[in-house]
Amino acid sequence: MSADRSGPKRGSKPLAMAGGPPPPRPAPTPAEVRESLIPGVKYVIPVASGKGGVGKSTVSANIALALAADGARVGIMDGDVYGPSIPLILGVKDKPTPGPNGLLPVERYGIKVISMSFFLPPGEALIWRGPMLSKTIDQFLGGVEWGELDYLIVDLPPGTGDIQLSLCQKIPLTGAVIVSTPQDAALRVAERAVFMFQKLKCPILGIVENMSHFLCPSCGNREEIFGSGGCRKTGERLGIAFLGEIPLDTQIRIDSDRGRPTVIDAPESPQALAFRQIAENLVARIESQAKETARSGETRITF
Amino acid sequence: MVDSPGNRISPVPVEVGRANLHDVRVRWDDRHESLFPARDLRLLCPCAVCVSEDTGERILVPTQVPVGVQPLRIEAVGRYAIQVFWSDGHSSGIYSFDYLMENCPCPLCRRPVSPGNS
Repeated sequence: MSADRSGPKRGSKPLAMAGGPPPPRPAPTPAEVRESLIPGVKYVIPVASGKGGVGKSTVSANIALALAADGARVGIMDGDVYGPSIPLILGVKDKPTPGPNGLLPVERYGIKVISMSFFLPPGEALIWRGPMLSKTIDQFLGGVEWGELDYLIVDLPPGTGDIQLSLCQKIPLTGAVIVSTPQDAALRVAERAVFMFQKLKCPILGIVENMSHFLCPSCGNREEIFGSGGCRKTGERLGIAFLGEIPLDTQIRIDSDRGRPTVIDAPESPQALAFRQIAENLVARIESQAKETARSGETRITF
Repeated sequence: MVDSPGNRISPVPVEVGRANLHDVRVRWDDRHESLFPARDLRLLCPCAVCVSEDTGERILVPTQVPVGVQPLRIEAVGRYAIQVFWSDGHSSGIYSFDYLMENCPCPLCRRPVSPGNS
């Protein structure tokens, strides 16, 4: 994994092309595909929920920042091309600029950011069918000069559709993080996301319970609006590690809306500490998963 | 918390390679081995051109597949499947590892590989 930038990249090209007999060459291993698409990226972590509106993007952004605060090199790819919200949460005003080997992501609070919202004027909607989504994923991976990163966090859109499938097909992912709120309505959909990743052989690193409870600022009463502990229980049932819980908190919402996420704005606040604890648990899971993957090895194609 | 159903997934190939000049051998991480004769694997193609998306019925007509059809190249698809580039120009099939396992033609698995009897 060198930072060698010489030579043409074949990353932005579609991986599979139909047509006449291709010239014989050894098939790339999944690791080589990743190497060609995102050469300097060590771990790729999709964040998914199944259901929308559970706070995936807020959790993704704060985890990314918490990882960066601990000294890691972090990028965040906003995979929600229809409803991109990472730039808003991170308060990004700049646009990516063209570099010699692809688009240079915007840097904000020490992390690199790519989002569809950079290419979409405000007040316009993106109305696309599947194949375009797949191309966008190609571009976000191979057409962006991510450089050397320890973690690339991918904030996925809700659902189990084109974007999720494309991502799982293009590169071997380190493992997914599932975000859910603790009520059944969300957990049942989150479970489907879990099954999707299992089907695509992407390990699940753990589950995060968002909007876990509400601490009343005036009386201190703890209200479990969506019922607490549901994610932990679901995690136990499915054999998925529980990474931690984030309270439903007005300040987290305010911080996100004004582009200064809680981990940046009040790093020692209980809310920020909750995110940092989750990031810490996540790193431990990533490391054990990476060992597991290294032990079992990736499928070698020798045909 | 590591060896859990969340992470312990069904068998994955250690290697997808040649059994001989044209046939495909899959060596699984549970030490099982599957040997797919080239043409049988072509006839098993799960893509939407070969299998009806509505009924699951096989549309591919075996007599239209050349007798000597063979894989020219095999590529990995993420962590879960392979894509085979065939000598008859076909390449749209994504064979998931689970699908290959389900269709293992070995006597132990006792799954006839003939796709005609679906």
